[in-house]
Amino acid sequence: MSAKTWPTVLMATAVIAACFIACAMPDAQADNQGTPATAGSAAAPKYKTGLYPVADDAEVPLEWMPPGTGVSPIPSEEIFPPQTISIRFNHKKHVGDFKLSCKVCHAAAYDSEVSSDRLLPKPNETCDNCHDVDHGDLAAVKAGTEENGQCTFCHLGDAAGRNGKVSKVVIPPPNLRMTHKKHLDRNIQCAQCHGQIDKLELATRDQLPRMAGCFSCHAMSGAAQGEAKGQCINCHVTQPSGQMMTTFATGDLMPPDWLHMAGHDADWIERHKTIAANDSKFCANCHKEEDCASCHDGKVRNRKVHPNDWISMHPEAARMNNPRCTSCHQETTFCADCHRRVGVARDGPDGGRGPSDHFHPPRDVWSSSPRGPQHHAWEAEQNINACVACHTERDCASCHAMRGIMGGGGVNPHPVGFDKSCGSAFARNPRPCLVCHERNDPHLGECQ
Amino acid sequence: MQRRVGVVVAIGLVGGVASKAHAVDVEISNDTTFQAYEVMNPWSTYSLERRRITEQLGFAMYHLQGDYAPGKADYTMRIMLRLDADPGINAHLDDQQAGAETDFAVGLGSRYVPDLAYVDLNLMHAYVEGRNLAKGWLGFKIGRQYMSDVLGWWNFDGGLVRLTTPYFFDLEAYGGLEQRGGLPLSSTRYEQQGVWRGTHADFGGEGTDPRILDYPSYQFAAPAPAFGLAIESNGPNWIHGRFSYRRVYQSGDAILNQFGTPPGGTTSLSGLRVSSDRLGYAANINIFKLGGLKGGFTYDLYSKVFSYGFAGLEAYLGKKVTVGADFDYYEPTFDADSIFNWFSKQPQMTATARVEARPTKKFDLSASGGAKMFFTAGDPDAYFQGQCDATALPGETTNPNCDVGAGLDTAVNAKLRAYGQDPDNNTQEAHVDGVGQLAGRYRVPHGKFELRSMAQVGARGRRVGGDLSAEGTLVGGKWAFGGRVSVYDWHDPTREDRDATSFGYVLAAAWKPLDLSKIGVEWEHDYNALVGQRFRVLASLNVLWIK
Repeated sequence: MSAKTWPTVLMATAVIAACFIACAMPDAQADNQGTPATAGSAAAPKYKTGLYPVADDAEVPLEWMPPGTGVSPIPSEEIFPPQTISIRFNHKKHVGDFKLSCKVCHAAAYDSEVSSDRLLPKPNETCDNCHDVDHGDLAAVKAGTEENGQCTFCHLGDAAGRNGKVSKVVIPPPNLRMTHKKHLDRNIQCAQCHGQIDKLELATRDQLPRMAGCFSCHAMSGAAQGEAKGQCINCHVTQPSGQMMTTFATGDLMPPDWLHMAGHDADWIERHKTIAANDSKFCANCHKEEDCASCHDGKVRNRKVHPNDWISMHPEAARMNNPRCTSCHQETTFCADCHRRVGVARDGPDGGRGPSDHFHPPRDVWSSSPRGPQHHAWEAEQNINACVACHTERDCASCHAMRGIMGGGGVNPHPVGFDKSCGSAFARNPRPCLVCHERNDPHLGECQ
Repeated sequence: MQRRVGVVVAIGLVGGVASKAHAVDVEISNDTTFQAYEVMNPWSTYSLERRRITEQLGFAMYHLQGDYAPGKADYTMRIMLRLDADPGINAHLDDQQAGAETDFAVGLGSRYVPDLAYVDLNLMHAYVEGRNLAKGWLGFKIGRQYMSDVLGWWNFDGGLVRLTTPYFFDLEAYGGLEQRGGLPLSSTRYEQQGVWRGTHADFGGEGTDPRILDYPSYQFAAPAPAFGLAIESNGPNWIHGRFSYRRVYQSGDAILNQFGTPPGGTTSLSGLRVSSDRLGYAANINIFKLGGLKGGFTYDLYSKVFSYGFAGLEAYLGKKVTVGADFDYYEPTFDADSIFNWFSKQPQMTATARVEARPTKKFDLSASGGAKMFFTAGDPDAYFQGQCDATALPGETTNPNCDVGAGLDTAVNAKLRAYGQDPDNNTQEAHVDGVGQLAGRYRVPHGKFELRSMAQVGARGRRVGGDLSAEGTLVGGKWAFGGRVSVYDWHDPTREDRDATSFGYVLAAAWKPLDLSKIGVEWEHDYNALVGQRFRVLASLNVLWIK
């Protein structure tokens, strides 16, 4: 294999290896949870109702869904981890037809102050009141003789109740701070957060609140916040530092697009500056200072900003000012120190640069009079930051300072009309003027 | 997470609250990174050997007052210290020049770079913060701290007071000293651009010391007093705005004449003077069923120019698509001590349209495209021809001796100067680059694939390329692996001998021996025709301890 081909082979190997690693990894999440016994998958064909929110798993009308569903079709998996609902239940029948209030079955919600509370009904205190069954001892449930007391009447799966076993209903606690009691005490009723459950058959994860819905009350922050505080950490769980926890077994919590326009989309790194410029306290809900510093005062190159082989291509990127170098780098030190060391900067060591070696086009083209289309003045006008990354004031002053004691060539670098606008700047800090002009320079007088 | 510990000292720091046993969260972090790579100079005559060791040590205590209660007074203390070392400095030099980059006495200063050091120590932040004091009305922060707003990302030593009112706005006032390079435990990162500043500790009048006149552009580091205020909305979360104002002063001396004042001396300027004086405002409005609008600007009161501006509009088309348009305006401004403020310079503007789609929870894609405009005062080709016409002899339409860089005589130069000062010859001309970007992510159960690509093509040349990466974890996150391949191509019309196409890949692996710690290694291999094969090795150790 030639020296020129082996990098290609290595690169191809890297791609294949990376793809293999990403694809071949076991789905531990699925393994941990087993196969979810969703309502539809193991439904007893005998019963047709209570298996889905609406019959035949049809789409639930938006007006019956929790507020905010329009912008968040499904509840966040990071906040509400996936559930396993292994029973059938018809809310429409119980609430609508039998006129049972939510409290009859979910009484625990009225006193619940933490989100980890289990708010499902205890069957012996609720179901057994009407159904012909005794759940008094869950290890030995006694089914009656009526059909509505048989295990398979509610529990899914043909084998439900066989050997006393039914599938567990698994509803992991949400990663959220939530007190039902406080809401109910303020007469915020169930439907206000969960939607029109009285019109539905089975209530699923889809009936859990959406953040956009919470915002209908939790919309204020600061001292004007009232009781429904709008700060993120009012509802979201936090780290010891007070910042939100964002990493969960079910994924990383990210803001949606509609929240402060801060959707962490695939191009977020290019776009975050406008949001941070406006509301850095919003960012601080999740990020510490060192998260910003890792790029903006970074010592390790972030490849999402500067890709592979950045050192080779950075002169062209800097010339295009894309990305903007000054967002993270101090040009006179970070950039210029390295440029001095390698001999690119004029004010540094020659770095082994030969007499005919130039970084820029030849002098005649680049800096002599008359000004040609490739003259450095055009480059400086378009992107003067690129000049500052190598050149010190002395480099520029050698031509642009006044002749004589100031040591320059007297070439005026100022824009047209400069003398009409320089007065206040001179009064506030005359130093840049005095680098090129003597104090008694008549040109300077025009600014004073 | 919490542990009862005595925090007498810490509580004392935050205002003399009675000391007793409290529940305090303590966080200690350590991030060590070693990087080795080479930087070749453009003439391929030698390579700098970068051997960088960065050590970042953090210590924090939260809830110094005791148990945390939402909405009640809460105190925090955070410190982060960073050591940045490069033993590779001087390593590329031969025996005769050994140590010449850091020792002026070697090689008559021919390789000396002021303030270049094997080791830099920087106190990144160190502050005590109080929140929700006085029933939520007051907050404060004392010490070295960051500030981020439309005026930029900034750091200062001092104090900040925040007043949270019930009238939908907050007030913030602060003052102190800007973090300046060359001062103890400080970095140059937060100064305005344009002034090369640092310590002159090595300088002196002795025989082998560098003299000020050797580096007249290298300015003295001195304390920079600063103050500022901000007014920020605090109310409905669908709208937010922040107005910021900040002024920073220079103190100490500044060297003026760049070529010395006979006999061998320098002139300087002393006294307090403005370093930067800027105000800005940024706001956004967001209606979650419709879209959002954002905008902001920074105005430089010293240079009297808008140095930065942006505006953006987004519309949420259904649940899975967002479309928008963005505009960005930038005009370089510099420290008020810098001569670069007063060179003829023009703004840059970028206008793009964007679409972002989330077809599934696993997959999202962002694409944007538009134009980036650079400007000149006059069209370069027409300007050149205009100069030739302006210097034509009587009776002729153009100057037959007018060649690029010909060096015209004094009389002609006067005509050239007059031509250059004519406003008609300085009308603003746009030079347009097309810009585009495509980025996407596809998540798999314990990893993701990511595409990032960009293009800028036009008057400024060409840079086009992208990279594809994959990363994932194994054994419940205990192990992590990653790979990345990239292709980039660039072209600079002023330096066509430096055009190239680069191919590169990265392989990375990490191991988490403990829940909050990680050991990682990374290998990068790039190839382009300019420098041939290039390698980079990175090793890291991250440890976080929370009690």
